Amino acid sequence: MMSIDEAPILMTINAHRGNLRTKVIGGIMIVLAIFVILVFALGSPAGTHSQLTFDPVNTTDSPIRLGTLTVLTRWWNLILGLAMLGLGVEVFWRQPRRGVMARFGGVAVLLLLALLFWAVRTPGPSQVSYVNLTSIFVGSSEVVMVLIFGALSGVMCERSGVVNIAIEGQFIAGAFIGSIVASETNNFFYAAIVGAIAGGLIGLVLAFFSIRYLVDQIIVGIVIVTGIDFFSAYLNLQVFTPYPNLNVGNLAPNLPIPLLHKIPIVGPLFFNQSGFFYCMVIFVAVVSFALFKTRYGLHVRAVGEHPQAAATVGINVARVRYINVVLGGAIAGIGGVAFMASQGQFIPDYTSGFGYIALAAMIFGRWRPSGAVVASIIFGMTVYLAANLQEFSVPISGEILQMFPYLITIAVVAGLIGRVRPPAADGKPYIRD
Amino acid sequence: MNDIPARRRSILSLWMTLTSQNPVIVTILALVLGFVVGAFIIIFTTATILDAFRGFFNSWGAPGHALKVTFDNVGAAYRDMFTGSVIDPAGFWHSLTTGKGWDNTLTPISETLTYATPLVIVSIGVGISFQTGLFNIGANGQAVLGGVAGAVIGSMIKLPMFIHLPLTLIAGILGGALAGALPGVLKAYTGAHEVIVTIMENYVIYAFLLYVVLSTPYQQPGQANDIGRTIHASAQLPPLFGVASGLRVSYGIFVAAGVVAFAWWFLERSSLGFDFRVTGASPSAARASGISPRAVIILVFLISGGLAGLAGVVQVASTTHYVDGTFLIGDAGIGFTAITVALLGRNKPIGILWASLLFGALGVGGRAMQAATGIPFDLATVIQSVVVLFVATPVLVKEIFRLRAGRTQALQLGTQGWG
Repeated sequence: MMSIDEAPILMTINAHRGNLRTKVIGGIMIVLAIFVILVFALGSPAGTHSQLTFDPVNTTDSPIRLGTLTVLTRWWNLILGLAMLGLGVEVFWRQPRRGVMARFGGVAVLLLLALLFWAVRTPGPSQVSYVNLTSIFVGSSEVVMVLIFGALSGVMCERSGVVNIAIEGQFIAGAFIGSIVASETNNFFYAAIVGAIAGGLIGLVLAFFSIRYLVDQIIVGIVIVTGIDFFSAYLNLQVFTPYPNLNVGNLAPNLPIPLLHKIPIVGPLFFNQSGFFYCMVIFVAVVSFALFKTRYGLHVRAVGEHPQAAATVGINVARVRYINVVLGGAIAGIGGVAFMASQGQFIPDYTSGFGYIALAAMIFGRWRPSGAVVASIIFGMTVYLAANLQEFSVPISGEILQMFPYLITIAVVAGLIGRVRPPAADGKPYIRD
Repeated sequence: MNDIPARRRSILSLWMTLTSQNPVIVTILALVLGFVVGAFIIIFTTATILDAFRGFFNSWGAPGHALKVTFDNVGAAYRDMFTGSVIDPAGFWHSLTTGKGWDNTLTPISETLTYATPLVIVSIGVGISFQTGLFNIGANGQAVLGGVAGAVIGSMIKLPMFIHLPLTLIAGILGGALAGALPGVLKAYTGAHEVIVTIMENYVIYAFLLYVVLSTPYQQPGQANDIGRTIHASAQLPPLFGVASGLRVSYGIFVAAGVVAFAWWFLERSSLGFDFRVTGASPSAARASGISPRAVIILVFLISGGLAGLAGVVQVASTTHYVDGTFLIGDAGIGFTAITVALLGRNKPIGILWASLLFGALGVGGRAMQAATGIPFDLATVIQSVVVLFVATPVLVKEIFRLRAGRTQALQLGTQGWG
């Protein structure tokens, strides 16, 4: 059975529209650039200045200080705006075949920078007079890490042809069970193991219903998320309320890597993180290697693209899918524990759709671990800034800011920014002849 | 079989039907499984039951005691769920013999109907999208936007009731249809998968709801909290038995009944509904017969979103009378329950009607259970999820109960991957 939008028709449309879409994207970039120049550059009174610092908030461990950079807000933002304009005009004019997404990402980053510089201008309305890039990176790295865990889980499952929309449920389950284990043993390694088992079990349920009984994977996923969501709320009242000692949790301690963590910017960001962060980095490497450099990865991709052909050459389609969905679930389960460990305890409804954002990051990342990482960084920073921009007294309502990560995700899935192609057999049950 | 008397034969065939895999039997058995799972959840998470099992091997009487405690607790939970959502037999007998206290006796069923009224409407919208092979996961956001639109029209202008009430309901429909238009248009023109778009749209609309109830025009005057203005009486769906009765069931049930009738006519008798069903069953056949997939996608989302919006505004006009920051959010999110209701009702209007009464009763009964026994009402939703998982997997139910092969009717859903 084919879906309503069948590929051939869309592809012809896209061939005609490829240039048009690139032009539209270029146009959007130009509009953003003009907005920055008019509002953030010319809108800043002459003489106001902004500070840029790179030192982490806790400076005890950083012997090398980069100091602060003080710039004139108006001129600095004018430079940023002109750079954006240049990129936009280039995309609009030349319509490059590759790298449009990267240029758009660059424009988005410049836009955020200009917004921050404008927000912290002194004299100005904000109490904060500086932008601390290091603390923004470090602060958003927790969200980014969780999203990467989820997106990796999605890559594992969807490369083998199973849509894992239950990532959210695996997050919740991992966070819940991880909190119990971390509270009882005060050991986040055990918590991660148990969280992985919980996530893997949910993956197994998803695989069982969708592979063995051919139930629509999206239905199974959504029903699982609903069930887990309310089950965790139930357990929260029924177990954590009478036994609060099961949900004290603690923040996962940072494990600084000797010497390396003293490097400015890079040190606090990459070498002074919790164990979950290092674990995530290893997972990204392992999943990339396993999917694209090993025999097993070839089997997985074959099963995801053309299960009939894979079966013909002797690959056990169902087994590959089971393994990948369970492993993917386990990765998402660890992601849930990581989220809990960065919050200190389990709170119902606290993942607020991170599982779905991770899914969108995987789509934006074109079903590749590397792409998923880039997309998770963009989405994670947006989520973090939307939640934290208010401390800069940006004159935008916080509720409107909250919409941004989700709106960007919609724009991404709609192909307004870049075009993506899923594995050919993604979401389709494999029926043996 | 010919030498079996006719009477015996009919009993035999009844037995054959009861032990074969047909939709009704599968649904009933799925319910049984759901409640069994729920019972195990209660057993493993209730301290008193676990304490009773602690001394299981200590004395001869202990196992019996442990089982008794188990049955008492689980039984009490399910009994409270029933009496809190349908009827309390003792109270009913009291009212029947003395003629007094009917208000109290009818309160549970009235609450169930109140809860089920918007649920039917939104579930039918979701069911129509499912029948067309499209996944509308955004029904909750659409209902919220419909509720907000209706609440704004209902509270900020003043008109006589015969204009104001219809206008409020139409505003709700338009609000929901507007929210439905986005995933529909994006799906039709860019191929964006509606599941992701609608999920994201939900979060956007929740943020918008907070924005609306916190900003000056609609926020309740003199309030700093996230609470909106109360709608005028002329925009309300009044209680069916008058305000004095205390029964909350409102004229909204006629709106719901109208929607069920409309949906039945639409899907079974109208040509557009036929186009929808053909598209859901076989998109290529639909295109071959000249049905425009784009038009169908957009129309489905407009109708589905419009019905969700109507559900939202019915909820405002009949029950809450105002919108606040938690409107239809979290455990009140009827748009998510609607997905399970539509699946349980096999996307058919009549099936959805029964399913929403059942899940309405489960939701209301869950709260009664929490009030009486302290077991959190979220259990009701967990049971619902388990039931729907089994309903969607008739083969598994068949294997568990060793049913005979029969009229298999798997759910026909045409969504496949991210397209």
